[in-house]
Amino acid sequence: MFKHNIVLYLRKIQKHKSTFLINLVGLSSGLACVLLVYLWVSDELAMDKFHEHDERLYQVRRNVPVAPGVLATFSSNSSLMLTALQEEVPEVELATAVYEFDNNASLETGDKKLSALGIMASEDFFNVFSYPFISGNKNTALFDVNSVVISRELANNFFGEGVDPLGKTLTITEGEEEIDEVFTISGVFEVPRNSSQQFDFILPYNTFLKYRDPDDIAWYSNSSSVYALLTPKTDINAFNQKMVDFVSKRNKYEEQVLFTKYSDNYLRGNYENGKQVGGRINYVILFSLVALFVLSIACINFMNLSTARATRRLKEVGVKKAVGANRKSLIIQFLSESLLLSYFSLGFAVVIVLLLLPWFNTVTGKELTFAIEGSMIVTLLLIALLTGLFSGSYPALYLTKFSAVKVLKGKINSSFGELLARKGLVIFQFSISILLIVAVSVIYMQLDYVQSKNLGYNKDNVLIFEIQDGLLGKVDVFLEQAKQLPGVVNATYMQGGMTNFSNSSRGHSWPGQTEESKHINFRHAHVGPEFIETMGIELKEGRTYINEKPNNESKIILNETAVEVMGLENPIGTIIDMRGPNREIIGVVKDFNIQSLYNEITPMALLCRTEWISNLVVKIKAGEEKMAIASLEKLYGEFNPGLAFDFRFLDNQYQELYQSEQRVSTLSKYFAAMAILISCLGLFGLAAFSAERRRKEISIRKVLGQTVSQVTVMLSSEFMKLVLISIAIALPISYLLASNWLSQFAYRISLHAGYFVGAGIAAILVALLTVGSQAVKAANKNPVHALKDE
Amino acid sequence: MLLELKNIFKWVNSGGQRIFLLKDINLSVEEGEFISVMGPSGSGKSTLLNVIGMLDQFNEGEYYFFDESVHNLKEKHRSNLYKEYIGFVFQAYHLLDDLTVYENLEMPLLYKKYKGAERKAMVADMLDRFNIVGKKDLFPAQLSGGQQQLVGVARALIGKPKLILADEPTGNLNSKQGEEIMELFKQLNKEGVTIIQVTHSEKNAEYGSRIINLLDGRKV
Repeated sequence: MFKHNIVLYLRKIQKHKSTFLINLVGLSSGLACVLLVYLWVSDELAMDKFHEHDERLYQVRRNVPVAPGVLATFSSNSSLMLTALQEEVPEVELATAVYEFDNNASLETGDKKLSALGIMASEDFFNVFSYPFISGNKNTALFDVNSVVISRELANNFFGEGVDPLGKTLTITEGEEEIDEVFTISGVFEVPRNSSQQFDFILPYNTFLKYRDPDDIAWYSNSSSVYALLTPKTDINAFNQKMVDFVSKRNKYEEQVLFTKYSDNYLRGNYENGKQVGGRINYVILFSLVALFVLSIACINFMNLSTARATRRLKEVGVKKAVGANRKSLIIQFLSESLLLSYFSLGFAVVIVLLLLPWFNTVTGKELTFAIEGSMIVTLLLIALLTGLFSGSYPALYLTKFSAVKVLKGKINSSFGELLARKGLVIFQFSISILLIVAVSVIYMQLDYVQSKNLGYNKDNVLIFEIQDGLLGKVDVFLEQAKQLPGVVNATYMQGGMTNFSNSSRGHSWPGQTEESKHINFRHAHVGPEFIETMGIELKEGRTYINEKPNNESKIILNETAVEVMGLENPIGTIIDMRGPNREIIGVVKDFNIQSLYNEITPMALLCRTEWISNLVVKIKAGEEKMAIASLEKLYGEFNPGLAFDFRFLDNQYQELYQSEQRVSTLSKYFAAMAILISCLGLFGLAAFSAERRRKEISIRKVLGQTVSQVTVMLSSEFMKLVLISIAIALPISYLLASNWLSQFAYRISLHAGYFVGAGIAAILVALLTVGSQAVKAANKNPVHALKDE
Repeated sequence: MLLELKNIFKWVNSGGQRIFLLKDINLSVEEGEFISVMGPSGSGKSTLLNVIGMLDQFNEGEYYFFDESVHNLKEKHRSNLYKEYIGFVFQAYHLLDDLTVYENLEMPLLYKKYKGAERKAMVADMLDRFNIVGKKDLFPAQLSGGQQQLVGVARALIGKPKLILADEPTGNLNSKQGEEIMELFKQLNKEGVTIIQVTHSEKNAEYGSRIINLLDGRKV
């Protein structure tokens, strides 16, 4: 019986090649979408889940009031938090504190010098986290202040593969913390690819404490991340209740402690007013849905084409029922056909995925692999099984329900319900497609806006590189020489980067301060005297630091927003207490963006200090980039022999703020194209069928004097109505979704009718082309042939 | 007695009116009979045949097939009954276009759960008997109408039914082809198969041993 069904099916494929191709192309691209997204989603979901105690691994966060009624969530903590947790909280089984370097450090042994990113972590780091520990004793490796634990990759780069580096020494220099010492390697670890945190070496946390000003080891100085392994069976809600005032009872500031699951950071890392509000998980859900939609559009094609062509199958149903086939065996037959198609498509989809994976990896920034083995095979077969059953269910149930007598007498007319179902499915397909068109254009326009928005500074032709090794302490000498180089316009230094001023503080005071404005959080950065000039930031009033001493304890420059929230009428010359008492406001700059445009511009202060500076910023002349970079590289080499000149362009750095949006944009573009293509394939099939079914009607109309164009319009309008209904359904939904997405951005495009009208017109045009070609073909046929056949 | 119909009524409701398709039909058929059902278009011939073949329901009356009361049977038992004892021959042949002659003959056996070797033997036997061995790999479209109906009859016979129901089996054939099919029926009848055919042709009706005339759903 099975063989009989297969043979019958294969012959049908041969006979109705175009239907089969439409279904095959649709289903295999739909399945390929689902497979790619499946690979991506499972990789995203597996992030940070490799830690053995994932279920009880928590990070300590703080909810801090930054404005009246507004909480900001910080992941930084005081180093005192570690000991307090270890000593006073029975629910904390183990805890560890981590300090992350912002910049690369340089590591040196013998004649080899490499730059690498490191962290400083307390003793229990490898017991709290489960990074594979390859060599050494993980319990004691971070004990001694002069020890260092390095990654296997770093070990291989320094000492070659297969050499045990334990006991060997490395000289490590790091500018930010001003470390310059020899450390002994006490262990080798590995960071799995699916770890959200990537680092190359670990220094003991005690080293961090050693380098700190003892004054800064206090509850108000938050520079470390603290992680805790809670005891099994700890009720996290009750625990958070208990811990909420853990810091505020030791500190004069008001703030709430919050424990959040460590592995949630990656997917649910956004916080709004102290509550977890999602994050990357939104994109995971979004793309899973989009992939499922694309696949269901393909399944709908299958359903529609199968039921529309029912007349061809009904005779078979009738004859088989007359010779004794029961409905069950026929349902099985139809389902096995759709399953067969689905497995065919799976084969093609696998090939498509293998071909597209390198491209997909570039777009998503992942290193996904597609190994067809074990559980993957089961998953693939399962996906294809569900697809086959889903797309086959409606045709199978529909086609087999008729009685033999009716079918063989040809008394079957398409019922109203059936037509409605088919139309409904087409409307569903087109609504999804239109939704995707709107999404793609809105995302594209917003990203375009983000790229071209005036940020308040000039991000073009600015090089940024880290202050490392030979540059430490010689920044001024370097800058003086750099400014003389051909093609260099200006040069300065700064703390952190332009795309994120990560430091902030509060508890400042100024004349006329109100009770409410006491809690205002100010971002600040230490910058060089020529920072404002180099970055092209506009001065609103007063003067810049250009003629001031580099290390300046008595002056401060604020941005417009800061002056406004402080309520200062005549800011210039006002003496305030901010990051040090008795500072005179010498200048006010116009607002400029220091974060992604998701965030509003916040109050901000620029301090002219050399302390904690980490980056050099060089503005070069447009058109002379090559020469300028070459001469800078040469100069850099004189200060840092052997170290590669690792620079970044500021505008690239800015682009990276929107990396995930760029990815979403690229992916949604392809998914939308896919959805439209598959929908049109289906429409094409239906239109062809409808033209065939109405052959006689068309002929009679033509014989009675209707023109070709009238017939074409008549045939096309049948489907255009459906597209119009889809537009009516999809546009309001897409408006809601688009404004929702845009509302995350503090700076955004306004939604005007153009996006929606455009998407509607696009859908109409595409549908018209698809249907129209069929209609014209049908209308141009010689009516005599059709009438003679009857 | 092969089958017996007692006071069979069948109707449809149309616009609040009851239109009778069959009205008080009484009929007994003995094994080995060859019955021709005649009457003008719309007189209920095909409906009667479908009721006898259990493809169609009736609204009132009793139907016994081998003393089994069909009107009380569940759908599943009814289908088992006709699957085993009844073969159909259609005016439009109703062969499956995508199957070869061989596969068309084999198809009913699949639904009767015969083993592969058995099926092979039965199909070979039938091909032999109808002299169509040479055509077994052809598709219906490659055969003439007469040959297609020959396959249609062979398909009806392959399950070794007791009763063959033929709805205008020669309606689409020319007179020579028609004659051949009628001769075949006569031969099968001699071999013991009961036949009920619907026909318009007096000449074909003569092949039968009994003629039943219908008018407006009534036996006349």
